[in-house]
Amino acid sequence: MPQVLLEKVTKQYVIGDAVVTAVDAVSLEVNKGEFVSIIGHSGSGKTTLLSLIGGIVKPTSGRILFEDTDVYTLDSNALAAYRCERVGFMFQFASLLPMLTAKENLLLPGLFTAKENSSAKDRDMKASELLNMVGLGDRIDAYPSQLSGGQQRRVAIARAFMNDPAIILADEPTGDLDEVTEAEMIRFFKQMNHERGTTFIMVTHNTELAAEAGRRMSMSSGQLKSLQQG
Amino acid sequence: MSKEFTLFSLALRNLRRKPLRTGILIIAIGLFVSSLVFALSFVRRVDASIKLTSDRLGADILIVPSGARGAAEDVLLESRTKSFYMDKGLVERVKKVEGVDAVTYQTYLITMAGLCCDVPETVVVAFNQDTDFVIKPWLIKKLGRKLQRGEAIVGNESAFNISVGLVDVDSVLFGTVFKMVGVLDKTGTGLDTALFIDEGNIDDIIRKGRSGIKPGQISVMFAKVKRGYDPYRIAGEIENSIIEVDTIARKDIGKNLVSALRDINQIFALTVGLASVLAAFLVWAIFSAIANERAREVGIMRAIGAKEAHVARLFIFEVVLVGAAGSILGIALGTALSLVLAKSFTILKSVSSDLGLTERAMVALAGFVIGTGICLVGALSPLQRIKRMEPLAAIKGE
Repeated sequence: MPQVLLEKVTKQYVIGDAVVTAVDAVSLEVNKGEFVSIIGHSGSGKTTLLSLIGGIVKPTSGRILFEDTDVYTLDSNALAAYRCERVGFMFQFASLLPMLTAKENLLLPGLFTAKENSSAKDRDMKASELLNMVGLGDRIDAYPSQLSGGQQRRVAIARAFMNDPAIILADEPTGDLDEVTEAEMIRFFKQMNHERGTTFIMVTHNTELAAEAGRRMSMSSGQLKSLQQG
Repeated sequence: MSKEFTLFSLALRNLRRKPLRTGILIIAIGLFVSSLVFALSFVRRVDASIKLTSDRLGADILIVPSGARGAAEDVLLESRTKSFYMDKGLVERVKKVEGVDAVTYQTYLITMAGLCCDVPETVVVAFNQDTDFVIKPWLIKKLGRKLQRGEAIVGNESAFNISVGLVDVDSVLFGTVFKMVGVLDKTGTGLDTALFIDEGNIDDIIRKGRSGIKPGQISVMFAKVKRGYDPYRIAGEIENSIIEVDTIARKDIGKNLVSALRDINQIFALTVGLASVLAAFLVWAIFSAIANERAREVGIMRAIGAKEAHVARLFIFEVVLVGAAGSILGIALGTALSLVLAKSFTILKSVSSDLGLTERAMVALAGFVIGTGICLVGALSPLQRIKRMEPLAAIKGE
């Protein structure tokens, strides 16, 4: 049984009188622990595809199953719990809350989860540990406005791992990073993928980055295609 | 480890992001609540004074000279110095009306500083200690005996107003020397500003010729009705059978004052009503702006797992914090205004009873609940809108 299963998923937006198809009858299977990259140009529908899998936008048609549960048949609370506890989302844009420090941004998802096995102290330690892992151990009390774009990106990456998600949905995760940091982050992703068995679906337009994934796909005009390995 | 991070601390942090806007909102709510607290204090103070007076007079019916209803209420409720007289012989006629159980009477004399007396202008109440049931309870409590001829006892506020050591000193009233033998406890009625003497002194006062009173005159009668009789019916019968008098049943005491206050109350109600609409509108406008400018943040929070309830709770915390802070400010301001401006409002200056701690607490509670409630009502629509936004739409600002 695949961990993620998309069955002829379509997402259309109505803009004025026009209907724009962002994702066009996409079917996809991703197994637990897989590292999948999706490459494509701007406007090809990559971000919408991740948003559909991440439970933050409803498909116009088709089904999205996560571990055999149809995500969009869940009620509002269960869908929020899915986003909080099963999915780690790395957004393409700056997504830190400006009034919170780096560490508090990591603690934020903890406010929304009902997990009882982690105390405030544990979560605090985990946030510090994750910030250390992304090289920001000395910036935990800095506000986003005091961090560079690359540092903010790394905080957002660390936040995605806070609730031990089963799957990471990464949308251009290294966009603001220099080459050295980009390489460090990719190493970090692979480490989490191997050690914890976290599934990754990473969207990028960087072919070198995409080549790091176990399975590569491409997206164009809302349609998804598999690319041959190697 | 950093300070505990909760939705509440997040709400506080959000409010601190725009201190000027938060401050303006708090001040606006504060002004609304202060107007509400002031109006409520005013109305409650007048109501309390009327109720206290009617309760403490201990009579079911007041009987006054024909046409002197207003003047009697002025004396009893508002401590005004007014005199009005009727023939003492009417007492016996009132006693004969069926259903009347007991009757006592008082005579009001007005002092004029420098002319007749060495105390400022006030009412001197001469009363019959044998039949009295109005003053006696207070007198017994304080003095433990009857007043003797040439003795006077001072009303609680009168002692304060005169602010001289009246007790155990001699004062001249209507050319007669009186020994002030004590100060009565506060009764909460207009009589708190009066001086009290035994009726037996009136002959001496008349003889000195320093007051306008004539022999055999009294100002007011207080009647108790027998058990099972309707005070309203008895009052009507007294008026019908004795044309020289008017009556006021206990529950009607203060009716003239309430009627005079009706316009003021309507102005208060209108002002407070408009202020509440304005406050709710302001809260709606500001929280609509907050909802718009934070849509992206809320979208991100929803995308990383916040439920609608979390978003709602965060906004409600902010609204309640603003409402509570504004209400507390308004309660302090409104209470201070009601105390300070009481001296500027003739009606409040003369109404004798102040609000007790419990009454003030109730007014404050009403101010707090209504102030915070108005905030919640104003924020309801933006709150509903933002908590229902689809995360991606909110992030994109659609």
